[in-house]
Amino acid sequence: MANLLTNHRRYHLDSDLEKALNRVDFFRIFHTMSLRHGFDHFGILQLGNEGDACMLSHRLVLHDLPSGLAEEYDKRHRFGDSVVFKTLHRSVIPSIWKADDPHLGNGSNLLAQLGFDMLICVPVTGINGARYAVLFLGDCEEIAKPAHFELCYDALCAFDYFYRLVLSNKAGLGLTPRETEILRWISHGKTASEIALIVSVSEHTVNSHTATILKKLDVVNRTQMVAKAIREQIIQ
Amino acid sequence: MTDTVHILLVDDDPAEYLIMGGIMKKVTSAEIHLHFCETIEAALAFIQSGKPASVILMDNRLQPQCDFRETVPALRQQGFIGPIGVISSSLADPYFQKFEDYGADFRIDKAELDPTAIEFILREYVTKT
Repeated sequence: MANLLTNHRRYHLDSDLEKALNRVDFFRIFHTMSLRHGFDHFGILQLGNEGDACMLSHRLVLHDLPSGLAEEYDKRHRFGDSVVFKTLHRSVIPSIWKADDPHLGNGSNLLAQLGFDMLICVPVTGINGARYAVLFLGDCEEIAKPAHFELCYDALCAFDYFYRLVLSNKAGLGLTPRETEILRWISHGKTASEIALIVSVSEHTVNSHTATILKKLDVVNRTQMVAKAIREQIIQ
Repeated sequence: MTDTVHILLVDDDPAEYLIMGGIMKKVTSAEIHLHFCETIEAALAFIQSGKPASVILMDNRLQPQCDFRETVPALRQQGFIGPIGVISSSLADPYFQKFEDYGADFRIDKAELDPTAIEFILREYVTKT
C-alpha cells in the first residue's frame, strides 16, 4: 500500500495484506489467520459508545461466524450487557476469555451464550481514532504467550489495512476512472443493473462503487451525488 | 425456511465438481444447487438459456489457453450481471491484482473454499442483492 513505509511493513512486504483489494480478500486473510492460530472463527467488532443500545449482529463489520448465529444471539441476549463488551470500553489491552471464567458471570457470559470455549479480543483503532476489536473464537484450551503476541500483532496489522482500504471514510479523495464512469451513467439516469451491463461488471460492483462515491463526495443520496459532481465539475 | 441458491461452477476438471459438491452440501444457510460447465462455451450457453445462476465460480485457467481475463469479460458480454468469483490454486500471479478491471467480483484460492467461505460469499453477494 502506497502510503506505508517499509518501517511499517517489515513482516508483510510480500504478504496477502499488500495485495488485498476488497472485503473477500480481508475475509480470506482473517479467516486464515484464525485457523492458523487454532481458532474456528473471527469477528471484527465496531465498538461505538458503551451506553448505546447495541446488537452483536449490527456491530460485526466482518466475520466468519456461522450464518444466523449473531442474529440468534441478539434475539435472546443483550450484547451491551456482556462483560466482554463492557471491558472493551475500559481497556485496550488484548484479553483472553474462557467460557468457565468466573468474571464472565451468569447472564452476561458471551462465550457460553455463543457456544465457544475461548475468546481472544484484540482492541484496535482506525487511523481516525475509531475503535474496533478483532475477536477470535474457538474451542482451544490455551494459547502460549509467543503465539498470543503474534496473533495480536497480525490482527493489528490486518485491521490497519482493512480499515484504510475498506472502512475509512474517504471523503475528499479523488474518484477513480471507473467511479467517474459510473457516476456519469448515474447522471444519465441509468439503474445499477443497466450500468452493470454497460460497463461489464456485476450489479454488486456497481452498488459498491456507488457507495464509495457517496463516501468520497460526502453526500447522502444519488441526487445529491450528481448535483455535487456537476457543481464541482467532475462531470459536465 | 432456507433460500435456494444456484451456483454455476466453470472448471475443466470434473473432479473439482465432485469436490465442490461435497463442500456445498456442508453449507447450512442455503440450499445450494450446483451447476457445472467444463468450457467457457458451455457456460455462455448456460447463461443464454436463461437458467438461473446466483453466483458464478470461474476456474482461472480453462484449457487450452483461456484465463479469467478472457472468460470473465465473455460472461459479462453475454449479459450476466451477477457476481463472478475467480478460483485458482495460486493467486500469486500479478494479473490477479487487476481482477476487478476484468469484471470479476472476488478471487479465492481453491484451498480456501470451505463451507465458511461459501457462506460468507453468499452473505456478501447473494442475500444483499
